[in-house]
Amino acid sequence: MYIKAILNAVRYAKRVNLPVQMPLSSSIHTSVCSRKAEDRKEMLASLPAKDEGTVGEKSVDIDTLINRKSKFFPDAAIATQLFNGMPFNELPVCNIRVSSNNTIISVTDYKGVPRLIRSCGIEGFKNTRKGTNIAAQATAVSISAKAIELGWKTIRVKVRGLGPGRMSAIKGLQMGGLNIVSITDNTPVSWNPPRPRKQRSL
Amino acid sequence: MRHVQFLARTVLVQNNNVEEACRMLNRVLGKEEILDQFRRTRFYEKPYQVRRRVNFEKCKAIYNEDMNRKIQFVLRKNRVEPFPGCS
Repeated sequence: MYIKAILNAVRYAKRVNLPVQMPLSSSIHTSVCSRKAEDRKEMLASLPAKDEGTVGEKSVDIDTLINRKSKFFPDAAIATQLFNGMPFNELPVCNIRVSSNNTIISVTDYKGVPRLIRSCGIEGFKNTRKGTNIAAQATAVSISAKAIELGWKTIRVKVRGLGPGRMSAIKGLQMGGLNIVSITDNTPVSWNPPRPRKQRSL
Repeated sequence: MRHVQFLARTVLVQNNNVEEACRMLNRVLGKEEILDQFRRTRFYEKPYQVRRRVNFEKCKAIYNEDMNRKIQFVLRKNRVEPFPGCS
């Protein structure tokens, strides 16, 4: 009320061209209630925004796996970590190439020079029998025996492609007596690939 | 974009437990939709198929979100230990 009266007086004085000094607002403010409003505004601003929209619109769902099982995932220090007396990045690599019709396993040294190569076809499985999990497992067992002959007992595994032999080949390597340190997925996936072949007609 | 070999998409085997490592790897690949994209790009997906798939995925996501909310609402508990005897 007081402020309103002053403002009215000032307006009146302006209309009649009287020299008026505007009162300093800070001195006359009895601004208990207005400060309360400001406090409330500040408090609301400091609160996190209430998300009523779609899940994932404002918040991102992070897999809890990374925190709970962090020892499963390697970091940059892994390269020099010793496994069976050898640093991680000098361990031989076992490349498993899986497709729906065949499984090809090759063992290379750490530089990528191939030393052994076996596939389900070489192993004696022919035609549709090549593309089975049993064939993949048998191939993996036989190649692991050869790798142990070379003196490579601790290996890293790189898997490429999807197919029935994917899991069983890794299992077969372990059954053959190899010590698997890590499993890497090396499937080539592109989000803007060249145009693939046309759909199969069914 | 190329990633560092043996750091990206890699799982270390703990205590010779290959199966668990494989499961973990497949879980990550599935969650990041890498396997889906791989399967999708084996054959050309015609534009009408893309539209249909994307629309279906949208509808499914909306349905799943609301259904999850409903389930959470029905399952909400107001006691100190929400599920006694299960821990």
